Amino acid sequence: MDLKKVRKQIDQIDFEILKLLNRRMEMALTSSKFKDEVADPAREKEVLASVEGFAHGLVRPEFGRELFQRVIGESRRLQKEGLALVGFQGEHGANGEMAAMMFLPNGAYIPCPEFSDVFDGVAAGYLDYGLVPVENSLGGVVSRVNELMVDSPFHVVGEVMLPVHHCLLALKDTDYRDIKVVRSHPQALAQCRGFLKRHKLEARPFYDTAGAARMLFQNRPEGNAVIAGELCARLYHLEIIKENIEDHTDNVTRFQVIAREPCREAGDKCSIVFSTEHRAGALFDVMKAFADHELNLTRVESVPLGGTPGNYVFFLDFEGSDQDEVVQQALDEVRPNTTMFRFLGCYNSVAAAAASGDGADK
Amino acid sequence: MKNLKLAGRGDHERTVIEVGDLRIGADLVVIAGPCSVESEEQTMIIARAVAKAGAKMLRGGAFKPRTSPYSFQGLGLKGLKILAKARAETGLPVITEVLDTRDVGWVTEYADVLQIGARNMQNFALLKEIGKVEKPVMLKRGMFSTYAEWLSCAEYIMDAGNPNVILCERGIRTFETYTRNTLDLSVIPSMKTLSHLPVFVDPTHGAGRVELIPPMALAAIAAGADGLIVEVHHDPSTAQSDKDQAMLPEQFERMMTMIERLAETLKEPVFNGRLDFVPWNLRKESTE
Repeated sequence: MDLKKVRKQIDQIDFEILKLLNRRMEMALTSSKFKDEVADPAREKEVLASVEGFAHGLVRPEFGRELFQRVIGESRRLQKEGLALVGFQGEHGANGEMAAMMFLPNGAYIPCPEFSDVFDGVAAGYLDYGLVPVENSLGGVVSRVNELMVDSPFHVVGEVMLPVHHCLLALKDTDYRDIKVVRSHPQALAQCRGFLKRHKLEARPFYDTAGAARMLFQNRPEGNAVIAGELCARLYHLEIIKENIEDHTDNVTRFQVIAREPCREAGDKCSIVFSTEHRAGALFDVMKAFADHELNLTRVESVPLGGTPGNYVFFLDFEGSDQDEVVQQALDEVRPNTTMFRFLGCYNSVAAAAASGDGADK
Repeated sequence: MKNLKLAGRGDHERTVIEVGDLRIGADLVVIAGPCSVESEEQTMIIARAVAKAGAKMLRGGAFKPRTSPYSFQGLGLKGLKILAKARAETGLPVITEVLDTRDVGWVTEYADVLQIGARNMQNFALLKEIGKVEKPVMLKRGMFSTYAEWLSCAEYIMDAGNPNVILCERGIRTFETYTRNTLDLSVIPSMKTLSHLPVFVDPTHGAGRVELIPPMALAAIAAGADGLIVEVHHDPSTAQSDKDQAMLPEQFERMMTMIERLAETLKEPVFNGRLDFVPWNLRKESTE
């Protein structure tokens, strides 16, 4: 151990402390959804008492108390700001968080381990919005999300088209020539197959792109790099070795934004989900209603239902507003032809500004 | 000359290499830029200046082969990123040198044309690695190399699978010390006879003195060179490398005006009958 190594460990610990502090602030904001008043003197007392109890070793109880008085003060300030809580699946730095930032530039972005946690959070009311990926232009439909969509009683209030750009990220002191192994989500690895092959890099699957970035920063395995988004480089202090390493430049993930209440503004796009009887022409009758009213369909997806072979639900998106008379007429014709029908929502689409690249592929 | 079935003249069509809109080997192409990429600011200033003056490609070293290990070795990957940024802004394609077989793949990700420097002309491992790449390569002539040795190195690259080789004369070592090297201009028409590959000239290294660059550049074009590669620096006194031979942007601009005039003149045969030399690439119709 020398001074350089000790300092590196200190930096590492600071990162951990700040990451946990951020998590604590997120939880504080979440707690504010369960109470009416920001200030809760009884609870604050309780927190300070347990901090004093937790303090040990070189951390004196008085120091713990002082520190946490500041922390509580900051939590209170944040709670007063009334930020909307936007849930996404994955860790900080995930594509879902980037989509959330596009949907609501000034929000608190809350990571959720599973897609179902995003749905549960919205249903329970502690998340104001949830962002879930419904499809990717290369990878196709995200089936788990679509399954959850069928059963959940909320509204689609927006959509975000997120251009996905993969970056090769490594620790700041890694020589790119030493990189041998690249870890990332299997889908990201698959989308960069050409790049990995060109550089003779070994692809190793990891459960999540952002999770791989965090692991790299925390465990610092030698000769490793990860494929993740640009946001991860900032969050996990990684160096971007190469931007836009995907084999196909047009890679877009479509996210839908879910909330308990329908969108208040007039939208220009609608989503429905339905199932039909098992008879010849049942689905055709539904489609015909849209054709007759000259409504352009932007997505038609069939999702197998509940493990019963041959049973499907259909997701359908179309251009138009639920305020339009033609839309109402078309939907009135659709409903009798379905065995299940739900109007998911009417909303506006958020598309990203032209993605910045290094122009290498012009 | 033997064993030059790919690089030798043979029955091959003249090689024309497309880089974006440029047709190297068909159009006169002047490449300019700093010796080394020193910073984003320096590279941007120079890139803008050379683009304005009419350069068609940006040069800049990210990996520098230096005589002394204590001299500036280049910014490496960071330098490549800066070059990519300069390309995005100016639209100029980028040429940069690769020194190490381990870097070939990475440099290829950023550069439009790779360069093998004079010191690495006979680095056969590097030549074979570069031969696997899908980007054009500029092969500089080693400072002690014969024409046959040079073309054999081009053969190495082509044999490994990369047909897009550009030859570049950069001066050879002679007993003269006033100039850094002696620029061998007879190599240009000779290579037009011996090979089908485009021939460039680097008057900066060839002369090593800034006042010699314009006359040598003009002479090279008059002799039929397909293009030039020139070092330009907006503040040569602070340059990290080659400070005595870099042109100022305004000097480069004046030289470009002269080059344009010369190229215009050379399009018409000036010597009636007996000596009707017209650089082949400036001829109205190819008579070959």
